[in-house]
Amino acid sequence: MNLRPSPTPISRSGGCTLTGALSVTTQVRGAASIIHGPKGCAHHNFSLFHATLPDNDQAVLPDLVSSALGECDIIFGGEDALTRTIRSVCSRDVSTVFVLSTCIVATIGDDVEAVCGRDWPVPVIPVPTAGFFGGTFQDGVNNALIALADAGAPAPTRPCVNIIGEKNLEYEVDENYTEVVRLLTLLGLPVGIRFVRHLSPDDMPALGAAQVSILRDPSLVPVGDHLRERFGTPYIPSFPTGLSDTLAFIRSVAAACRIDPKRALEIEQALQAEILADFADIGDTEGVFCGPVMDTGSSRAAREAADALHIRVSSNREAHPLPVHPVVGTSGVRRMLHRWRRAIHA
Amino acid sequence: MPECDNPLWPCAMTGAAACLAGFEGVSVVIHGSSGCYYYPTTLLHAPLHGTFILENEVIFGSEERLREVIGGLSGTGNRIAVITTCVPAILGEDIQSMLAEHDVLLVDSPGFSGDVETGYTKALSLLAPQTDAAAEGVNIDGICLLDPFYKGNLQEIRRLLALASIPVATVFCRDALKKTGAAATCTIGTNADFSSGVGKYLGGSLGSGTLRATFERLGAVFEESDTSPVLRELSLMEEETVRVCDKFLRRFDPPSVVIFAGASYAEFAAEALEHFLDADVRFIGLRNQDSTLHYPAARVTGLKEAQQLIEVHNPDLVLGSSFERSVRGNRAFLGITPPLRGVVRLAPVPLAGINGTLFFMEQVLNACMDHPRTQP
Repeated sequence: MNLRPSPTPISRSGGCTLTGALSVTTQVRGAASIIHGPKGCAHHNFSLFHATLPDNDQAVLPDLVSSALGECDIIFGGEDALTRTIRSVCSRDVSTVFVLSTCIVATIGDDVEAVCGRDWPVPVIPVPTAGFFGGTFQDGVNNALIALADAGAPAPTRPCVNIIGEKNLEYEVDENYTEVVRLLTLLGLPVGIRFVRHLSPDDMPALGAAQVSILRDPSLVPVGDHLRERFGTPYIPSFPTGLSDTLAFIRSVAAACRIDPKRALEIEQALQAEILADFADIGDTEGVFCGPVMDTGSSRAAREAADALHIRVSSNREAHPLPVHPVVGTSGVRRMLHRWRRAIHA
Repeated sequence: MPECDNPLWPCAMTGAAACLAGFEGVSVVIHGSSGCYYYPTTLLHAPLHGTFILENEVIFGSEERLREVIGGLSGTGNRIAVITTCVPAILGEDIQSMLAEHDVLLVDSPGFSGDVETGYTKALSLLAPQTDAAAEGVNIDGICLLDPFYKGNLQEIRRLLALASIPVATVFCRDALKKTGAAATCTIGTNADFSSGVGKYLGGSLGSGTLRATFERLGAVFEESDTSPVLRELSLMEEETVRVCDKFLRRFDPPSVVIFAGASYAEFAAEALEHFLDADVRFIGLRNQDSTLHYPAARVTGLKEAQQLIEVHNPDLVLGSSFERSVRGNRAFLGITPPLRGVVRLAPVPLAGINGTLFFMEQVLNACMDHPRTQP
């Protein structure tokens, strides 16, 4: 048995668990997030949110409270500092308090769950984070979603769909949501809740009431599994990432909700044909894919669009650079094609 | 230490990185998790390396991982500096011995040990700068990659020293590493919050009064120099600034101001505003602890506290970082403190020197004129 497996480069650069969890907890209205650790950890994350949230038209900065551990707390234990911080935060007008631990707290062994489990006037929810101890950024997202899901209760199913794990630090987060809503509307399905984006604690009962959960991407499968076990809700593992994937998505959601997708598919296919016709002018050219994020889904969506427009994709650096980014649905592909047109006509 | 809402100032680890990454010939390694690496990297815009340690390295030891990273950096001719973050700092590993063959500079500067100035000072002290009587010219200190004005400050002070025919010796901390071993015996500063303590300090360069005194001292120390062009330009600058501020005061009342900054920039801003505009400096929220300012001042560590102070003192103008900008309401704002997010900054503008005061005052006047508001 190998006790010391070599970490993969991906696990090393997977980002901070704490930041991932905060990207969820800061989206719960009226909630405060306590970062149990030195002030620097809270500052790093506050500065990051400060830099990214305005891009998503969110002018209000999240409440991040640091337990501000100093050298003495590190030596003698930080539980008193955490208790003091929770007491102070609970005395404010907050609906929920999330407690997120940091690397150093996991190392010194503070019993965060025990402190959170005391009798507090508002729900105090510990989220297992602890920086690299907790895993990656995505693990932080998943842990926070699961911790929050445990605060929900099963409810009678109603005809709606829940959106799970939107990437709150993503630049196009709301546009991607709008596209999924458009597709669901074709099937006559409303959204129950966005778990978690601008979530009010009053919305929580809807978590267990959806016919199906739609995960933002497959990295959230552990969350989907947890929701299925807790509420019996099946899930679709990802937002659609290309033209044919969008049609498959409509079929999958329709099947899960026992709806006939025929009409929705006809409308969507007509829209896709119209878009491809609009971009016929960039067909019959040679291009090379470029972009900082070249995941499988994005590459597949780009290749499919290029093929549909008869664009020859090569590795020739002299060819037109065709920017590729993660796209959602037919609208996402259309935006990508606008960028291609700009590049081709540049 | 009491809890802190939305902390405004980076930790000691970031300060150490800001110091060391300023030197050419140093490869800086952040020994810690990816989260601790990414923040200084995005903030300082400097090449940093990381060990990106994971759980098993905390449990079983990080020697192998450190060797892997350091091994990849050796052979470049650069001195390798390893900055420990919170977790490695308490693991008790003898990193110096582990890496003995690489002559590593080990900077024990975990986040819990203090703020950015603590780490900066510690890293610089470990470099053990030496003065050399044979070194020509004067050192410049107070240059810190964290400071949004460091490039402009350096450019401006170089310009003024050239005007006075005084060579620049070592720049702390933006120079070749080898020059720290042969610094000049005299130093002038650009930002006292990041002073080097190297050589005899001849004074700062923030604000016209300080700048004049410093160049008069430089003139006395460097017999071959001619500081008169600098002093002449300084007088012209003051004259022009007074003229423009007088014009402003014919139309507007002096602004009331609340300032959030390190002590050095805060004092400069307060004195300049009082001197040129008869401004009412209502409060200074200091990012760092020590200060002997003759203005109402206290240390402010969190955003909520800053917001309350702005509301209580209700100034016309807020100076600070983009954190304070987000809570300033409809008041005029000028950014002098990092971070300054959400604005494009390409030109290296200074706060130090003659052009620093000119830039600062023109920005203040424009901000005040662009944001007229009715007092309640």
